[in-house]
Amino acid sequence: MRRTTIPFGPQHPVLPEPLVLDLILEDEKVIDAIPTIGYIHRGLEMMVERVEYTEMGFVVERICGICSFMHGMGYCVSLESIMNVEVPERAGWLRLIWAEISRIQSHLLWLGLGADAFGFENLFMHCWRMREQILDIFEKTTGGRIIHSVNRIGGVKRDISDSELAAILVQLQELGEAFKTTARVFGTDPSIAHRLGGVGVLSMEDARAVDAVGPMARASGIATDTRLIGANFYDRIELEPVTETAGDCLARVVVRLREIDQSIDIVRQAIEKMPKGEGLPLENKPRGNPNGEVFTRLEQPRGEVLYYVKANGTKNLERFRARTPTFANIPAMIKLVKGCDLADVPNIILTIDPCISCTER
Amino acid sequence: MPNPLKLPMIPRALRNLVSKPATRRYPFEIRPRFAGARGTIEFDVETCNYCMLCARRCPAAAITVSREERTWAIEQLTCIACGVCVDVCSKHSLSMSVNSRAVHLRSEVGPQGQRPGHEEWHKPAPAATDIPAVAGVPAPAASQGA
Repeated sequence: MRRTTIPFGPQHPVLPEPLVLDLILEDEKVIDAIPTIGYIHRGLEMMVERVEYTEMGFVVERICGICSFMHGMGYCVSLESIMNVEVPERAGWLRLIWAEISRIQSHLLWLGLGADAFGFENLFMHCWRMREQILDIFEKTTGGRIIHSVNRIGGVKRDISDSELAAILVQLQELGEAFKTTARVFGTDPSIAHRLGGVGVLSMEDARAVDAVGPMARASGIATDTRLIGANFYDRIELEPVTETAGDCLARVVVRLREIDQSIDIVRQAIEKMPKGEGLPLENKPRGNPNGEVFTRLEQPRGEVLYYVKANGTKNLERFRARTPTFANIPAMIKLVKGCDLADVPNIILTIDPCISCTER
Repeated sequence: MPNPLKLPMIPRALRNLVSKPATRRYPFEIRPRFAGARGTIEFDVETCNYCMLCARRCPAAAITVSREERTWAIEQLTCIACGVCVDVCSKHSLSMSVNSRAVHLRSEVGPQGQRPGHEEWHKPAPAATDIPAVAGVPAPAASQGA
C-alpha cells in the first residue's frame, strides 16, 4: 500500500507544545513516527559558561513554566551537594511543600489539556478553575504564579508562617474534596472510557524495555518513584507510589488523578512534621566557588529528572545538563504511536504529558 | 463497558447554569495583588551610596550604576523581579512593590536612545541640597506605582 507522511506539529490544534513528529501512514494506520528534537532549543545549558553559578538558578527555573519550581530546586540541590552546604530543616520542608503543590498544579493543567484534547471542554474548565486557586497559593507564598524564584543555593528565600501553612492545608483539602466530583467524571463518563480505554496500551515489559518514567511507568504497573530514594526530606514522608495496571491512556489519567490526592496528603504530613516557629533559619549561605561534579535526581510531575553539574572552582560552572522526563518518555511515545489509528495519536501523545520546553531547553 | 445512560457531568452542568461564574468581570473588577507578590523594583535615591552591588548581582543585567556620574538606572522590561538586588542592598534603597509593570510602547525611546521602560535617577554631589534631578524618560515619579 502507498505510504503517506504527514507532519504532526510543531503547530497542531490539539497540542500547545511544539512537538515535531512525522507520521508515516498506511491508510489510517500509523506505521512509523519520526520525532525531531530541537525546534525550540534555546541553549540554556550553554549559558553556564557566561552566567555565574549564583545567578544560573534563575535561568534553570525558566527551562519550563510548569515545573519551574522543581527545576530551580534541582539546580540548588546539586550545587548544595557539591559545596557541602546543609539546608536548614524548615527550608527543606518548605521546598518539599512547594514541590508537591507544583505537582498538583501541573497535573491539573495536564488533566485540563487532556480533557480539551478529547473534546470535553467543560471538564477542561473545571480542572483549570482549581488550578487557578493553586496558582494563587503560589503567588501568596512565593510572590510569583509561574516563576517562583524562592530557591537559593543553601535554602529558600521566603518563609510561610505557621498559620498561613495551616490555612493552605485547609484550602488544599477543601479543593481536593471539591475536585472529587470532577475527578469522578474522568473515571465514569462513558465517552471518556470509549475514547481512552484500551487505547495506547503500554505493557509492563514494554515500559521497562523503553525505560518509561513517572506516571507513564506507574500506569503500566511499575512502582517507580524517585521520591522513594528519600532525598530532600521525602524519607520522613509515608509514600506509596500510585500504580495502575491497565497501561492504557485511561490508566495514565487515573494515575495523575490519584497523585493529586497523594500530594495533598504529603503536604499534610509535611506541615505536621516540619519544625514550627517564627524566625527559624532558612538559608545557609555557601562560601567560595564550587568544585566537583554531581548527579541529582528528582521526581517531577512528569517523572524522573536528572541534573548533571560539573564545577571547576570558578564562578562559572563547567557543565550543566538536565535530562528531563519527557525526553525519557519519547521512546515510549513512539512505541505507542506505531500501529495505532491516526485519530488516536493526539490522545496517546498527550497522555505522556509532553513538555517540549523542558525537552529541548 | 460503562453505562451510556450514566452521564456524571450532567448534574454539575446544571448546577453551573444557576451558580455564580468562576471568572471575574476583569476590567471592572480587579483582584488586588497579594501582599507578597513580586512586581516592580522601587528605588530610593536618597539612601543609595552607589556601591554597585545590585548591578553586579542582577542576573538579567537590568541595572546600570555609575559612581562617577552618580546615576542609578533600571530597565524595567529587562528586570525579572527575582529580588536579588533587594537582598544585597545594604542601604535598603531598593524595595519590591506589588504593582505590576507598566505597559510601554516600542516608540517610547528616550532622548539618549534609552529603551522603553528605562528609569534613571541622579543624585547631585553631597554638597548640593536641591531635590534629585531626573535625567531619564519617563520620569520615575510618573511611571512608578502606576
